[in-house]
Amino acid sequence: MNTFGLVQIGLMLLCTTNTSSLQCNHLPLQQRKVIENSLQLLDKMGKKFPLQCLREKTSFRFPQQVLKARQKETIKVAIEEIFQHIFYIFSKNVTLAAWNGTALEQFQNGLYQQIEQLEACVIKKRTNYFQNKEVNRLKLKKYFQKIDCFLKDKQHNLCSWEISRAEMRRCLQLIDKVVRKL
Amino acid sequence: GQTNLKSPQDIQVYVVNTNFTLRWNYTGNHTNVTFSAEYRWFEDFVTNETEWKELPGCQSVASMECDFSSAITKYYDTHHVRIRAERREEVSPWSSIFEMIPYLIAEIGPPGIRLQSTNGVIKIKVSPPEANQVRKMWIDDLSFKYDLVIWENSSNAEFRSRSIFPTDIIDDLAPDTTYCLKVQATLPLDFKEGLFSPIRCVKTTHKVNDLFCATNVSVLALNMKFHLHWNNQYKQHVSYNVQYLIGYLKKLHDDYSVKWLSVPGCENITDTECNFSPIIATTSGFYYLRVQAMSEYNKSCLSNEIKVDPLITNEIGPPGVKVDISDVLLHIQISPPGGSENEVMRDRYDLSYRILYWKNSSNNEEEIKVKELKQTIGVVSDLAPSTMYCVKVQAFSEVYNKSSHYSREECIKTPGDKILPLIILATFVTALIAVCLVAMPLVFAVYQAYSKIKYVFFPSCQPPLNIEGFGQQVFSTPYLITTEERIENFSVIEPIVIEVNQIDFKDHKHSNQSSRDSGNYSNDDDTSGSKVSEETLEKEIV
Repeated sequence: MNTFGLVQIGLMLLCTTNTSSLQCNHLPLQQRKVIENSLQLLDKMGKKFPLQCLREKTSFRFPQQVLKARQKETIKVAIEEIFQHIFYIFSKNVTLAAWNGTALEQFQNGLYQQIEQLEACVIKKRTNYFQNKEVNRLKLKKYFQKIDCFLKDKQHNLCSWEISRAEMRRCLQLIDKVVRKL
Repeated sequence: GQTNLKSPQDIQVYVVNTNFTLRWNYTGNHTNVTFSAEYRWFEDFVTNETEWKELPGCQSVASMECDFSSAITKYYDTHHVRIRAERREEVSPWSSIFEMIPYLIAEIGPPGIRLQSTNGVIKIKVSPPEANQVRKMWIDDLSFKYDLVIWENSSNAEFRSRSIFPTDIIDDLAPDTTYCLKVQATLPLDFKEGLFSPIRCVKTTHKVNDLFCATNVSVLALNMKFHLHWNNQYKQHVSYNVQYLIGYLKKLHDDYSVKWLSVPGCENITDTECNFSPIIATTSGFYYLRVQAMSEYNKSCLSNEIKVDPLITNEIGPPGVKVDISDVLLHIQISPPGGSENEVMRDRYDLSYRILYWKNSSNNEEEIKVKELKQTIGVVSDLAPSTMYCVKVQAFSEVYNKSSHYSREECIKTPGDKILPLIILATFVTALIAVCLVAMPLVFAVYQAYSKIKYVFFPSCQPPLNIEGFGQQVFSTPYLITTEERIENFSVIEPIVIEVNQIDFKDHKHSNQSSRDSGNYSNDDDTSGSKVSEETLEKEIV
C-alpha cells in the first residue's frame, strides 16, 4: 500500500505540473494563427515562382508519416523539430534570392517564438528508447539534410532558394492541417 | 581451419561529433595478436543483404581501440560492425555484430568559449562544437541550447546553472571576484547533453555606474500601444536614444551587437519615455529594447535590456458598452477595446466578452448574472418589468489568459408592463357592460311600474270646471246629448268625446279636489267611491 500511495502522489504531482502551464493547452490555437501568418509572410517575401527554375525542381519527399502519429505529444515534438529545421534553412545567406528583408525577418521571428513556446510546453520525457519512433525523426532529418545539401550545391542561387521556399511552404501547409486537428 | 583464437568481445562504439572510436575486450592470449574490423551499412533502414567491407582505420590494429571516422558518412543510416582477432595466418571467428545508427549514439562535443570581463560583468561568446568543420554530425547548429555552470572560485561555492545565448552577458555577479565557469551544448529534442568545455576562470572588474544611465526601464502597453519608461537620476542634461533588436537574432551565432536599430521618433530625445508601437509587428515574435543615454560629454551608457513579447506584455483595455431596451429584451452593444481599427488585437487574442448584469435595487443582495459571448452584440431576455438593470462588460482572451478591466456600468430601466393596463381596461369595460346589461331592464321595469302607478293613483286627466255637480249624479243625464243631431253625427265619436270629457273630468275633479273644496266632494266621498261611479258610468255609456 505504501508504494501504491507514493505512485498516486507522484501521478498527482505530474498532473498538477501539467495543468499549471495553462497556456500550453491553448498552444494549438496560438500555433494556428502563427502558421497562417508564416504562410502569408512566405508569400510576401518573394514573387511568384520563376518559371525558369522549373527544370531544376527536385523531389524531396517530405516524410508525411511523421505527422500522422497517434499521440499528440509525438506530433508536437515533430512540429517543433520541423520549425527548428526551417528556421535553420532560412538563416543562411539569402542575398541571391533578393527577397523582402522585413518579411523574412518577421517570418524568422515568428518561427523562433513558436520554437521557444513549444520547448516550454512539450514534455520531453524519454520513457523508453523506441527505435521505431526515432526512425521517423531520422527520416525528417534526412529530408532537411537533402534540402540543405541542395542549397549548398547550387551555392544558394536564386532558383535553389525559390525551390526551397516552395518546399517549405508545402511543409507549413501540412503542419497547418495537422494543427487544426489537434 | 580450427583455431584457438578467441573472438573479441564487448564491442563498443564511441562517437563524439564525427569521431568514431571502436573499442573491444580480448580475454585470450595477447601475444602477436592484431585485430581487424569490417562494416556494412543499409540505406533507408532496410536491412537487406549487403557486403561487408573492410573498416578503414581498424585493420591489423594491436591496441584495443581504433578510429574509423573516415569510413562513416551516412549518419542517419544503420551500420553493422564486427571484429576479429588475427595472429599470423590464424583468425578468430567474427565477434557478434554491433548495430548502430551514428546520429543516435553520437555525443555532442564541447563548445568553444571566449570571455571578456568588463565593468563588473562577464561577456561570453560561445562557438558551436563543430565550428569550422566541413563534415558535421550536428548540421543544425542553431538548435543547440547552451547551458552555463558558474561558481565562485572559493571553497563551498554553490554552482549556478542557466541557459545562455551564443553571445551573452553574465551580470548577476559580485565585482572584483574570480569566477570559474564551463559550458555545454545540448539538443533537448534529441535528449542529448554534450561534453562540457574546459573550465575557464576569470576575475570580474569593479562596476562603474555612470550616474546618467537610464534605470528602471519598464514597459507599459495598452491595446497594442507600447510605451517604454525609464528613470533619470542625473540632474544634468542627458539625451536618450531608444534601440530595439528583433528577438531571433540572439539565437544566431553572428554578432548581433551591430544589429540594434533606433526606434523612430525616439532618437536624441530628452523625455524619459518612448512610444515604440511602430516597430512592433504584432504578428510575430518578441523584441529586446534598451536605452542609450548620452551625457553632455558625449559619454554613452547602455541600460539593461528588456524583453517584450507583444501579446503577453500587452494589456487589454476595457471595452465600451451601450445599452438599449426594447419590450422585454435588453440589447447590449459592445465596442471592442482599442477601437474598430484594432483588428489585430481582436484576431490574435481571439477576444471574447463577459457581460455582467444585475438588478439595481436598494437590496444589495441581488444576484449578478454572467453571460459570455464572442460577438459584439448581446441580448438579455429574462427581465422583470419596471426594473432598473445595470450592465458592465469585460473583454478576455482565453488563449493568452488575459482579461481587461470592466467597462463603466450602464443602467437602464425596463418599461412597465403594457399588458396590465390593458387587462384593467378590459375588465373595466366588461364590468361596465355587465352592469349596463343588468341595470337597464331594471331601470326600464322601475320606470314602467312608476308610470303605471302614476296612471292609477295620480291620473293626469281632470274634469273641466264647467261641469256641475260632477260626481253626485249618475251620468245618465245627457249633458252632452243636448244637440241630438250632433249626437247622431257623433255617434261614432261619442265614446271618445265622453272619454275625453271624462278625462277632463278626472283632471278637473282632481283639480277640484286639490284647488277648491266643492261641496260635492267635500270629505265623505272617498275618491275610490267616486272612481267606482266613474267606471259604472263608463260602462253604461259604452
